[in-house]
Amino acid sequence: MEGKVIVVTSGKGGVGKTTATSSIGAALALEGKRVAIVDMDIGLRNLDVVMGLENRIVFNIVDVVQGKCKVDQAAIRDRRIDNLFLIPASQSDNKDVLTPAGVERMAKVLRQKFDYVIMDSPAGIERGFENSVVSANEAVVICTPDVSAVRDADRVIGLLYARSLEPKLIVNRIEPARVERGEMLSYKDVLDILSIELVGLVPMDEKVLISSNTGTPLVLQNDSTAGQSFRRIAKRLNGETIPIEVPNLKPSVWTKLGKTFGLK
Amino acid sequence: MINFDNIAPVKLKGAGGGLWITIDPSHPESELIAEIDRLLKKLKHLAINADVTLDTGDADGQEELVERIKIHLENNFELGTISTSPQKRSIPTERRRQRDLSKGWNHHKSDVLMLRGRVRSGQKINARKHLVITGDVNPGAELTAGGDIIVLGTLAGKVHAGYPGNDGAMIFSLAFNPSLVKIGLITATGAGESGIQGPEFACVEQDSIVVKNYMKDNPFKRMPWPEVI
Repeated sequence: MEGKVIVVTSGKGGVGKTTATSSIGAALALEGKRVAIVDMDIGLRNLDVVMGLENRIVFNIVDVVQGKCKVDQAAIRDRRIDNLFLIPASQSDNKDVLTPAGVERMAKVLRQKFDYVIMDSPAGIERGFENSVVSANEAVVICTPDVSAVRDADRVIGLLYARSLEPKLIVNRIEPARVERGEMLSYKDVLDILSIELVGLVPMDEKVLISSNTGTPLVLQNDSTAGQSFRRIAKRLNGETIPIEVPNLKPSVWTKLGKTFGLK
Repeated sequence: MINFDNIAPVKLKGAGGGLWITIDPSHPESELIAEIDRLLKKLKHLAINADVTLDTGDADGQEELVERIKIHLENNFELGTISTSPQKRSIPTERRRQRDLSKGWNHHKSDVLMLRGRVRSGQKINARKHLVITGDVNPGAELTAGGDIIVLGTLAGKVHAGYPGNDGAMIFSLAFNPSLVKIGLITATGAGESGIQGPEFACVEQDSIVVKNYMKDNPFKRMPWPEVI
């Protein structure tokens, strides 16, 4: 059976595309699937650092597309998680060296070798975005609960629909305390505007920064709330139906006490 | 390219079996006659025995000028009949009321652009006349219409009704929260969350845009009978 290409995109930069890509990819591999993660951000490669594989890069995606090497030569196997591979971006080229036709050719080969191919799209809606979505079978849009991210995600959703892709939404970096204080949009507000299928809600988690700096997979940390959310998202993308968990405030000792004494 | 803003002193068109000459009386008579001569000479044999209608466009009370040009044409060209344009007929109010009451809209061809679905950021919609959207308009979207804009849903984004210069247009939505409103030539910026729930509409009053509660100040409430727009 042919594999699926899933593109992870957002429009706006810095909303967590790379973290989401690496986490979803790792989580799908933990589900027993053969997964390739492809860094499409040519010129600004990050995914190798986040996954802790930067020391092992020999060939990159530009070499694959230009026919300088085979997919197997460029794909770096992750030593901690079986069946997880990374095809890194090139740091020295720019986005125009890849053409949609070239990416399409590469995706054809990847589909035969892997169950899931996850493409980490660069920010923006120019060439890099086009290269990433050209061969996609599914699209996941990452959005944080702030007005500018929502607007960019909305634009990207329009562009994905124009390519007959039905995007799914992940709302990232939810801070329940700030939502409660009214400082942050709630996931419902975001969903109201974007109105596409929700595939997961990810809470703000300090562990994300540590894990990307040290290059350890987030999903392997059982105490990471974001990591656990991404594992559930991977299961949903893999076809399981599990209910969406809304990040909640852990009630403090005082509110618990108040409740027991019937104060509120 | 065709120039629609052409302010030529004389315009010549084929109309039915004959020619229609529209003259602009603001130009001097000698210039008008010279221009007519030039145009008719260009037509050569096509002008022979042609039925000509003389018209002054929107200008009134130029009968003498038209008469003089008519005589000039009779003397210098071998044309067929030369007539002046028929008086413009306007439908009297009484008959218009009758027509509206007797469902005159049955034969009305609509210029309304009606769409359903969500208009997303970065999408632009241009309507020649009225625009109706059943669905939401997201922040970052742009709507432009020659007439009214009606949104059956939340309206955010940029809206321009009455494009380019119709101040009489209105903008209606079930939740009114646009970032920029333009009606005709008048512009207003959105006021952020209004806090008012329910349908609202924007229109022009004394050269500024006002937003009102539709249920309280429905502008069409007082219209005695339904009218085709």
